[in-house]
Amino acid sequence: MTTSASASNVPSAREAPLRRGFFFHGAACRAGLARGLLLLAVVTSANAQGDPKRGEYLAKAGGCVGCHTEAKKDAPAFAGGRALKTPFGTFYGPNITPHPQAGIGRWSEADFIRAMRRGERPDGANYFPAFPYPSFTQITDEDLRHLWAYLRELPPNGRVNQPHDLGFPYGWRPLVSVWKWLYFTPGPAAPAASANALADRGRYLVHALGHCGECHTPRNFLGGSDKERLLAGGKGPEGKRIPNLTPTRLKTWSDADLKEFLLTGTTPDGDSANETMEEVVRNTTSKLTPEDLQALIAYLRTLPPLAEEPREKK
Amino acid sequence: MNQRLVSTAAVVAVLSAAYTLPASAQAKPDVLVKQRQSAMVLQGKYFYGHLRPVAQGKLPYDAALVARNVAFLDALSRMPWDGFAPSTKGIKSQAAPAVFGEPAKFKEAADRFQAEVTRLGEVTRKGDESAIRAQILAVNKTCGACHDDFRERK
Repeated sequence: MTTSASASNVPSAREAPLRRGFFFHGAACRAGLARGLLLLAVVTSANAQGDPKRGEYLAKAGGCVGCHTEAKKDAPAFAGGRALKTPFGTFYGPNITPHPQAGIGRWSEADFIRAMRRGERPDGANYFPAFPYPSFTQITDEDLRHLWAYLRELPPNGRVNQPHDLGFPYGWRPLVSVWKWLYFTPGPAAPAASANALADRGRYLVHALGHCGECHTPRNFLGGSDKERLLAGGKGPEGKRIPNLTPTRLKTWSDADLKEFLLTGTTPDGDSANETMEEVVRNTTSKLTPEDLQALIAYLRTLPPLAEEPREKK
Repeated sequence: MNQRLVSTAAVVAVLSAAYTLPASAQAKPDVLVKQRQSAMVLQGKYFYGHLRPVAQGKLPYDAALVARNVAFLDALSRMPWDGFAPSTKGIKSQAAPAVFGEPAKFKEAADRFQAEVTRLGEVTRKGDESAIRAQILAVNKTCGACHDDFRERK
């Protein structure tokens, strides 16, 4: 699907008013009534330009800061450096501040959208799918523009990127083309027109922005997501056991339990998530609006229950 | 030789040997597991149940209660470790194989946690609320980091 085709997708219930506003705005300008509708323009110009405030929220919902910030005290946010250990090697999240050399200061909005939607660098080379573009590809054009507007406003930081440390032959970028052919479907996927608008919003938060499946959906030996086992947990990208998010496991958690967990990290049995998930709680789920949190939980409830993956003998 | 002196010496020897043995050597492995789990559960009670929600702003800050629970945590945080004796390796628990496979790394993670708890005690005695909140969250990271590598949910 191309980017232009994606614009015709039916927006989710949440985005519909904004999008209608955009068309209003365009028509008004053509009619020469722009001044009279200044207020409306201020409200809706976000569509054309991207609203950094909205982008800031979306960046939290997307958890960008996690991989794009070094794991040490007072590390500059979004200046890169976090190590992600995988069976294919160690990836280091790059600097995405607007620094012209060290960051993405020379990028255009189109470069950013291409990276997020197609997993391609401005020079056309592939990104490794450690950058979760198989999820981000589903983010709407409108939200991508908001994100871009936010990233442009970050303080530029000169932290130089560290090259990935990958095992042979995974470091060879052209191989990623084969991987993409096998496992990557460029989006955004047409939103499912279900009767449950809340769960639809939750699906978007879970799969497009939150990229929960990058850890919670098991992968095969080539690192492709097992779509048959969506969010069913198993072995995560760092080789650790990841919990099953389908009702098989979560049926014993009430909505209040899930909400408490996603806001604080505390489980119904008085225990806590590990640091990997706690970071997600800190950066993302605890920052969601009450409506979005409710949507996320509503979506998890609609998942088909999948059995726990059998444990490997050690 | 004085009969009494010999028997007194023997009693002292036996008693002191018993005294110097670590507590862990006396318990069966399954008992040790239960005991170390109890220490963990109680840390959860005071930390996840009170101190962390205070730091997150979910519960009101009550200086006296925080001081009490920090003291509880400080004591409890020292208790689990001798329960991870090699004899407990085969017993089903949430301990990851790395606990026994990489004991030096496990000790390092436990020590890091212990150091942050000790700092929390110091900060709490000084009584600066925002510093206490920040230190609670620093402790929290070391709990989670150790759980990342050494706890496996069953």
